[in-house]
Amino acid sequence: MFKNFGYFIREAGTSLSRNRLLSIATISTIAICIFILGVALLLTLNANRFIDQLESDLEIMVFVDQELDEDETADLGDLLESTPGVQSVEFIPRDKALEGLEDKFRSEKYTLRDTVGKDNPLPDSFSVKAEQPHEVVKIAQEIEKMPGVYKVNYGKEMVERLFSVTKLVRIISMVLILLLAFAAVFLIATTIRLAVFSRRKEIYLMKLVGATDWFIRWPFFLEGIILGLVGSLIAIGLLVLAYGSLLQNIQNAIFFIPLIEDSKMLTGVYLSLLGTGAVLGVAGTWFSLNRFLDV
Amino acid sequence: MIVQFYNVSKTYPNGVKALNDVSFKLDQGEFVFLMGPSGAGKSTVIKLMLREEIPTRGQIFIESRSVVRMQKKEIPFFRRSMGVVFQDFKLLENKTVSENIAFAMRVVGAGNQEIRQRVPQVIKMVGLDGKNDRFPSQLSGGEQQRVGIARAIVNRPLILIADEPTGNLDIDTSMGIMELLYDINRAGTTVIMATHARELVKDSYKRVITLDQGRIISDNEAAIGDAI
Repeated sequence: MFKNFGYFIREAGTSLSRNRLLSIATISTIAICIFILGVALLLTLNANRFIDQLESDLEIMVFVDQELDEDETADLGDLLESTPGVQSVEFIPRDKALEGLEDKFRSEKYTLRDTVGKDNPLPDSFSVKAEQPHEVVKIAQEIEKMPGVYKVNYGKEMVERLFSVTKLVRIISMVLILLLAFAAVFLIATTIRLAVFSRRKEIYLMKLVGATDWFIRWPFFLEGIILGLVGSLIAIGLLVLAYGSLLQNIQNAIFFIPLIEDSKMLTGVYLSLLGTGAVLGVAGTWFSLNRFLDV
Repeated sequence: MIVQFYNVSKTYPNGVKALNDVSFKLDQGEFVFLMGPSGAGKSTVIKLMLREEIPTRGQIFIESRSVVRMQKKEIPFFRRSMGVVFQDFKLLENKTVSENIAFAMRVVGAGNQEIRQRVPQVIKMVGLDGKNDRFPSQLSGGEQQRVGIARAIVNRPLILIADEPTGNLDIDTSMGIMELLYDINRAGTTVIMATHARELVKDSYKRVITLDQGRIISDNEAAIGDAI
């Protein structure tokens, strides 16, 4: 393989330039595919991050039974803190809860305190945050069973809807990405098939002279990989420009959606797109050679 | 014995019976004509020797190796003991004379130095000295076939298989090609040549196996032996 590497590269290059128009068409299509793939990927990553952030804001409100005294309430707090999966526990005394409500319902004519009289109807409560957003439901159910807990509120519907939206976004982008990958593989397979066709005399001669299967296959694989890599490089170039200008120009307008700026993560995205291009090239060639190169 | 056919029959998937119970043996260093009208089975004999096809019945041995039982991955290495010359030359149009010949060395893994040494030798041997950098389109038919022969012998095969090598050439040019093939044979290579050109065979004093409708109808092996 290595002794002949130069030869294989030359052969692949010759074949690519011989079928120049088709090579350009294939590279453009791969570029478009990888570009859309990249857009979908960046979109998904940003959406996931946005959703993660929303999820991490989720908290479990634990209302304490009114009959508990201060010590017992403190014990419950300790118990909550020691529950596995719990990130933080914040105690909200009933007076503070009432103040919070008063702030919300302040009116000029009368205060909430006037309405409820001297008795504060609100219980003490704890605000509990989970380490993992998807554990919220489980933890809430566990807390419900603890002695001294009057009621647990964790925005059940909100949590469930959020998860179903995340799931939908993930499924749609997976389907889109799969379809595009198929299209790219099909195109590469077609290009390689034509390359095989235009070199059928050469291939026949190689076989008769005694070339091994892999000696015949290598130039085609390199051709497929080159097509995949060049196409994805173009796409990545476009993505870098497009995403960069998005960050620069639009981020301020949509400050509430924090776009990913982490260059390490973006480099990871671009490298994986490049890898995908190469893999698509290999897959397309594999398809084509298995069907059209009877060695 | 370098080539042995034992009761070989070949029926193609489309039902055409190409060979019917064919047996013959070739000695190392022999020159054999395979005669017969088109459709007689000459091409099938060649395809079977090259393991492009496998027989429906019978056994074939080349250099004592069973062609029928050969594993797929052995085929390339098996084929390296043979060189093939075609009626239509099958030269690569976008490669020069040197490159066409080097191509055959390259695909079996020869190194650059080896190629640089061997290719000019072979070009000289087939009488194309000075035409190394011509493209096939710049050569006459006879010259193109000489390139084809050079490509077939560059890897020093034990057997040279020529399938109607003069089929596209006029008689004078054909005689030149025949001389070249005889030279190669004299240097020790076994040559098997399929043809239907009676005039080339007539005065050759070589062994002639004649095929018709898939059967051997004559083989003058003994007669030639007596004549020599």
